[in-house]
Amino acid sequence: MLHMRTLGLLTLACIFFVSATARAGAVPSTSLDITANSVDFFYNRYIVTADGNVRLRLSDGTVIRGETFTMDLKLNRYLMAGDVHIDGPTIHQTGAALAGYPDLDRTYFLPAAGTPERDTYYGLNWKDPHVGREQPGDAYHFPDLTGERPYIKAVGARIVPKTNALFTRALVYTAGAYLPVPHYAIVFSANSHFFENAFPGARADVGIPFNASAHSLSALHVRNDAFNGTYLAFDQHFVWDNAYIVAAIDPLTQEQRQYNVLGYERFSPKFESRLFLQESAGGPGIIYQPINAAGYGQLQLNAGLHRSGLSYTEDNYWQYLLGIPEPQFDTIATNSYDPRWREHPMDATLSWTGYENRLFSHAPLLFRLRTIVGMAHDIYGYGGFPNELPPPPDSFYHTFGGTLYTSGLKLGPYTFTPSYDRQWTWFNVPHETDARDARLSLSRSFARQHVNALLTYEVRTTDDYWGAAQLAAYPNYGVITTPFGSYTTPDAFRGLATSRGWTGGLVYTPTQYFTVNLQLARFYDFPVPVPGYFGQPPWQFTGDIRFRISRQVQVDLTRAYYFNFANQRWSPQFGIQFSP
Amino acid sequence: MRRRMAVVLTAVAVLFLALPSLAQPQGTLVRFTGQLLDVRNGYVYFSSGDAFKLSPSYTVADYDTGASTTLRPAPKVFARAVLDPATKEVVELDLTTRRLASDSAYSPDVQQAIATKPSTVTAPEIKGVAVSGREVAVEFIVTVPPSTPINAEVYISTDAGGWNPQEIKLDRVEGDRYRAVRRLASGTRFVFRVTRGSWNSVEVGQDGLEVPPHAFFVKESDAQSASATVYAWSDNRSGAPQPAQPGAVPTPFNPNPFGGSPLYPPSRATPPGGFPTPRPGQPPNRPG
Repeated sequence: MLHMRTLGLLTLACIFFVSATARAGAVPSTSLDITANSVDFFYNRYIVTADGNVRLRLSDGTVIRGETFTMDLKLNRYLMAGDVHIDGPTIHQTGAALAGYPDLDRTYFLPAAGTPERDTYYGLNWKDPHVGREQPGDAYHFPDLTGERPYIKAVGARIVPKTNALFTRALVYTAGAYLPVPHYAIVFSANSHFFENAFPGARADVGIPFNASAHSLSALHVRNDAFNGTYLAFDQHFVWDNAYIVAAIDPLTQEQRQYNVLGYERFSPKFESRLFLQESAGGPGIIYQPINAAGYGQLQLNAGLHRSGLSYTEDNYWQYLLGIPEPQFDTIATNSYDPRWREHPMDATLSWTGYENRLFSHAPLLFRLRTIVGMAHDIYGYGGFPNELPPPPDSFYHTFGGTLYTSGLKLGPYTFTPSYDRQWTWFNVPHETDARDARLSLSRSFARQHVNALLTYEVRTTDDYWGAAQLAAYPNYGVITTPFGSYTTPDAFRGLATSRGWTGGLVYTPTQYFTVNLQLARFYDFPVPVPGYFGQPPWQFTGDIRFRISRQVQVDLTRAYYFNFANQRWSPQFGIQFSP
Repeated sequence: MRRRMAVVLTAVAVLFLALPSLAQPQGTLVRFTGQLLDVRNGYVYFSSGDAFKLSPSYTVADYDTGASTTLRPAPKVFARAVLDPATKEVVELDLTTRRLASDSAYSPDVQQAIATKPSTVTAPEIKGVAVSGREVAVEFIVTVPPSTPINAEVYISTDAGGWNPQEIKLDRVEGDRYRAVRRLASGTRFVFRVTRGSWNSVEVGQDGLEVPPHAFFVKESDAQSASATVYAWSDNRSGAPQPAQPGAVPTPFNPNPFGGSPLYPPSRATPPGGFPTPRPGQPPNRPG
């Protein structure tokens, strides 16, 4: 069973790869290879310049030489000037300047033989110069880089228009100094799939992208997290218009590693699939044969229907990919046998979600419906909560729910936004839950004071009905001991939980370079929260200040205060983030 | 004899002194300023695409002092060409590395001196709007689905910012709306997506499928607004409340308790004997 599923998932991954590669072959690849005495890249302008013995090779083999070169990566246009020589299978020309406009499929040229003219070439057809055709007024203009410092200094670059630039023998400006790296890639693609991340969270992550092509990106990462400390990691991206694969090893330099693969493919405008595979492996040394490994896989299929969507999600968990561990590690079941080895836990859901609909044709009342069918399997019991021992290994359930809401309603200077959500879930172990969420928001903008105020009242309830077994399902818990202490739960709690909360927020934005966002929340929960077990801090305050320290860098400082819940006042540290 | 010698020498001296003035162009000189592309084959080329014929005896001088200079005519150097309308040739190039404003209006004399053959065929593919690059206040307004938690953080991620999923943080200003203002140069063209801080929680369409990014162009105006409506998030396509994990009491505030339950069997993520992986007791580590 285990091998069959593993095989199935691996086959799916191969299908992803092969089909995506087949699509990639149909797209013509174009690139510009540049060598020069110096090649510079200006990050905040996305401009590449090259000076001294510049040699530019186009993807059709044409070589253009000149004294200076500049390319605006965002506008996707380039300029070569000074003693320009064009040499290709069908052209040998000298001139003063050449300007390439790939988006217009035009190359503009000022020949220097005879009387000066303006030539225009279509695409890479160098046979017909189209003499005297109108040219853009700024075709031969150099960008103004006065006062700019290059982020990268190199001796060569390979530019894939609208995608990336790979610099050779690069010096990268880092913390006030230029650090040498053999290759360094800059990605400026409008395709966000290049930036899909296969790493778990970390306190710090510095990427060193060292290789790139029209459809790939390879990077080393220097990362730091609380568990592993500082370490190296690696990820590899393959990206196409409608598909991507990201593979990562994290950490690369520690004994315990995670191997992650993300896959996505859009087969048609109304059908897409996602795959996530993760293997965790551990063993002695950096280069080793793992002695233990676990795996996780998630497959998701999404389809668009008529004014609705259908989504299937399946999770699989493999605790023992390398077989049963040593007996001393398995001390609960039979001392030597864990049935999860053969029957790994899994769960699956099939959900249908409707589009937004109007309840009445002339009233701004909107609603969305949803229904879910799901199951879960775990040999040690699943879905038997809260108090059935031993719980059954399989759980089947179905859900129906919907949301009723409006967009903001103007009430004089105020905006009123109500919403109501309700969801019923029925389980095969005979019980059902009824979850409700009612939210009312009132906001007002004080334009002259640059302040926005928001007040929200929300009531959420989750009722777990067990019928005649209600009291057995929810007995008095008595005293619960958690790492934060011992707490007595209320006798009255019998499975019907409520959370009522007020949240007030103020946003002060005197200029576009400074923002203060303050939020205070007060929750009245039943049963009362038990730190480390369930519940949320009754009082929560969050402060967020954003300001610019330079034209390019904005600092975001956040911190929360919990009013001594679980002996915690201020959150342990500031959240600090730098952004453009 | 001496007298004749003196007369001849005087005549030679007068001729020598007079020659330069004879070589001076007739009429008023005109000037054209811009950035050089190249000096080649008897012509000087400017970044405007215009070429002017060089006089065989043209001189090179410093732009500021008029004295001789070591600067040579080369690409990117700024120059003022002194033209003789009579010969339509450049008689002097004044060079500097200091940035000079290029001439955009041409006097009739300069117009006539341009050696480049005129364009005779229009190019319909060349079109566009004139932009100055001035700063424009762009207001991002994002409407979120009603299931979005009231304290959720919402961000804008753009291709211009390298698709950082936390690039522009928005503030909740209404029950279902977030807002932020940025100053962007007119003419800026970018695409953006709305996230909740990571690519695991990015906006999706009403049918749950990935949506193309929103395209935006900063026009030549005082202020602009970029609006987007999010119907669902990729980590909760149906907008349903998060189900409780096994072993957890189902409450509205406890879908994923941060502590293990002391009362019930351990959850699926924690096998007997402990998790044999690097992160004991944690669910699978989804990328951020």
